[in-house]
Amino acid sequence: MNDVLSFVVIGITTGSVYGLAAMGLVLTYKTSGIFNFAHGAIAAVAAFAYYELHVVRGLPRPVALAVAVVVVPPVIALVMERVTRGLAGSTPTTKIVATVGLQLALTMALVAHYGGSGLDFPAFLPTDTVELAGINVGVDQLISASVAAAGALGFFLFFRISPMGVKMRAVVDDPALLALCGTSAFTVRAWAWLIGCWFAAVSGVLLAPQIGLDALLLTLLVVQAYGAAAVGFFSSLPLTYAGGLLIGVLAALATKVVSQSEVLSGLPPALPFLVLFAVLLLAGRGRLLEVGEHRSAPPSPPLMSRTAARVVAVAAVAVAVAVPFLAGTKLPVYSTALVFVLVFSSLHLLVRTSGQVSLAHAALVAVGASAFSHLAVGAGLPWAVAVVLAGAVAVPVGVLVAVPAIRLSGLYLALATFGLGLLLEKVVYGSTWMFGATGTLPATRPALLAGDTAFYYVLLAAAVAGSLLAATIGRSRLGRLLRAMADSPTTLSTLGLGVNVTRVTVFAISAFIAGIAGALHASQGQSATSVPFTSYASLTWLAILVLCSGLRSAAPVAAAVGLVVVPAYITNATVVAWQPVLFGLGALAVAIREAQAAGRRGGEAGTATPAASRAGERLGSEGPAAQRLRVAAATGARRAEPGPARVRLGAGLTRGASR
Amino acid sequence: MSGGEGSFAVSDGEGSVVEGRGEGSFAEGRGEEGAVKSHGETSTTANHGEASTTKSHGGAPGLRVQGLTIRFGGNTAVDSVAFEAPLGRITGLIGPNGAGKTTTFNACSGLLRPSEGEIHLFGEDITGRPPSARAQAGLGRTFQQMDLFDSLTVEQNLALGLEARLARSNPLRQLLCPPAERKAVRQATEEVLEVCGLGDLRRAVAGSLSTGQRRLVDLGRVLAGGFSMLLLDEPSSGLDTAETERFGAIVTQVVAERGCGVLLVEHDMALVMSVCDFLYVLDFGQMIFEGTPADVRASETVRAAYLGSEAA
Repeated sequence: MNDVLSFVVIGITTGSVYGLAAMGLVLTYKTSGIFNFAHGAIAAVAAFAYYELHVVRGLPRPVALAVAVVVVPPVIALVMERVTRGLAGSTPTTKIVATVGLQLALTMALVAHYGGSGLDFPAFLPTDTVELAGINVGVDQLISASVAAAGALGFFLFFRISPMGVKMRAVVDDPALLALCGTSAFTVRAWAWLIGCWFAAVSGVLLAPQIGLDALLLTLLVVQAYGAAAVGFFSSLPLTYAGGLLIGVLAALATKVVSQSEVLSGLPPALPFLVLFAVLLLAGRGRLLEVGEHRSAPPSPPLMSRTAARVVAVAAVAVAVAVPFLAGTKLPVYSTALVFVLVFSSLHLLVRTSGQVSLAHAALVAVGASAFSHLAVGAGLPWAVAVVLAGAVAVPVGVLVAVPAIRLSGLYLALATFGLGLLLEKVVYGSTWMFGATGTLPATRPALLAGDTAFYYVLLAAAVAGSLLAATIGRSRLGRLLRAMADSPTTLSTLGLGVNVTRVTVFAISAFIAGIAGALHASQGQSATSVPFTSYASLTWLAILVLCSGLRSAAPVAAAVGLVVVPAYITNATVVAWQPVLFGLGALAVAIREAQAAGRRGGEAGTATPAASRAGERLGSEGPAAQRLRVAAATGARRAEPGPARVRLGAGLTRGASR
Repeated sequence: MSGGEGSFAVSDGEGSVVEGRGEGSFAEGRGEEGAVKSHGETSTTANHGEASTTKSHGGAPGLRVQGLTIRFGGNTAVDSVAFEAPLGRITGLIGPNGAGKTTTFNACSGLLRPSEGEIHLFGEDITGRPPSARAQAGLGRTFQQMDLFDSLTVEQNLALGLEARLARSNPLRQLLCPPAERKAVRQATEEVLEVCGLGDLRRAVAGSLSTGQRRLVDLGRVLAGGFSMLLLDEPSSGLDTAETERFGAIVTQVVAERGCGVLLVEHDMALVMSVCDFLYVLDFGQMIFEGTPADVRASETVRAAYLGSEAA
């Protein structure tokens, strides 16, 4: 019993820090409408700043600490406020892509500079233990838990009582209205970002001694934070803090339980996702409304006529056919690139055509790869059958996660898929269901086409087929429905379309192609391995695809070349290491440019209704609270005075009567 | 009755999707229920209703709402409201701001769940159904804010009115468009382009249109969908007098040709008085009056509600 209690205490101490980080996340999400996937990366930046100053440069501990948690966050906060302004009014997809790009850039920059393996983070708090209620508790843990709790409580009071807190709440409701009242939404949002970044930085520095200085691990703090935020329905700050505690305790207890089991060892890191998943499943639609208005980007004019595009496509295929005679020893690189054309085609269909973000694409490809090995080698099925079945196996995996999230909104789909990717990576990749403990499985090629060159042509055929399929879907009824859905799903449902079916359908098609790509990847490498399919691979793929999106339907090919072929010809290790950073920054830049284009269009449209009021009144997105407010305001106004509207109406009535 | 050329009907059944109609205009062929009466009869009476002071104002059953109550927390936005909007008629729902008109609308089209009450469409209880199922049953609506597909052209917007409805919740039908349906969609689009006078704008991107044009596209989209019960949410707001009159003329013409029912929420009294056959007046979420436009004009209660004076 005492044993359990000590795990609970450990859980509360880490949970308190998670809660603090999560409050920062929820605050910035609510005030800016941007869910900051880079929240954990900010925590990592602060921890590395302390490490750099204290350990590397030898500055005194208090100075290094002060710089890391006092000076660094405002700088990042300013950047985030700029990003927020750049993204104002853009679609949820654009916002997700932007902060995912930022997360990738920050994390990969840390990895590129400090290396991917964890560094020792010197403890800066006393490490003695004291006995509390019969349990030994580390003083450092006590201090960090208290700091986090004090921060959370102080902020809660600030939010409730202080004028700035009230303004923050007002910004959440209507930034335009607040501006009219003489308060700049910019200042308020800047404060929110500042507090959010402070919370992230403090959590990062407090957690680093416990989990070690590992950029990838620290960045995943955002996952703990969003699990906690889900408990608070992405809106209530006290509940969010409680959610942090809950996740801390659950993770600590899970650690105790799984210490006896090999299979479940990945469970603790995946817990936040399970909590999020439970909330998504159980919460009603009204509970989880997305913050912020948006308008869609204008349709991009085609780069060239359809005939010209066909000519270019045929030429590209001709070049691809000639590759085996030109590439020499680099042929396997091109073979892999062809597999990635398929991967990016499926991602393109999902992200660009349907406007849904999947952050688990690497996991779906991994499912296809491992399933192929089990089917082709394990069960001895014919090669082609195994490939198609591998695609089919990926479908239910993707759809199972998509279904609860899809009925909510794009953000929750992105969160759920990111969680799925992590869950699969941490828990399932190592199980015998997928790659097993060694992480590698055998894979075969078709007996008649097993040579490198012959198999290259098999892959070319698959890539061409996949591209044609994607193009056909874009022009089909589904394509039309998807484009309309990106503008207004509510309207489509009032016209009779089951929009959730549409979303799941496109998700399923995408997962199927991804699964097939996984099978082909395994077959090309003649072994299925989990190494290339981490959660960060998903983020990198998304970033590079978005970066190439200016090329329209050629984007998947360009992305595959950029991801696979270009690095193969770069011999400079530094450039290769910093490449993901460029992808991330590029995706951020493209997202902001897209948002600006949408903003310009909002100004040009010439419709009398400003986007803000249009979106505010948008029926599907109007929450019960907003409705209530509107009804109350209207009623109140009318009780007080026969307002202008009423006089106008009265006049109309008399005019009608006099006819 | 003036038959629209290229008219057709959409069937809910799996069998023949599109069937030509001699001279009837395009409307719902609701095979299994048979709730929709022949349109010819109702449409002839779809003129300005005269002196019918009874609660039911004739016509085949369209949309019927009973005891509708909607609360937001402690606030009762709509309080046991009952009304009927029969086929072949234009029924008006009027009231001052905040009277609960749009809330009532949202409950009818399924975007809001009522706290109490029942909603019947063509005699069938649709209270618990999602928006898409209501649309499948023949209920179409426009939006006060004209929620168009802004990145698509006018033509594509109109086509989607029918296409969304044909695709339903069936993954296969969402994926593929049978040639017969493609033809039907093209026909419906052409017809609506003509009815609404949008022919010149067919290739314009919806996001670039003026408010008046957006209203017409929004209306055209539900017309293309071939819905037999239309809910129009403040179609004249943002329009000038000439545009409003044109809009009213189109609605009247469509009701006369197709025999569909219209429920109109409107602020513009001139439009309401000239096109509606029967009016319901809401105030503070309660039905305070119902009658023909003439009755409403004469009513002191209505005038008091609008002008805010307590004088009777």
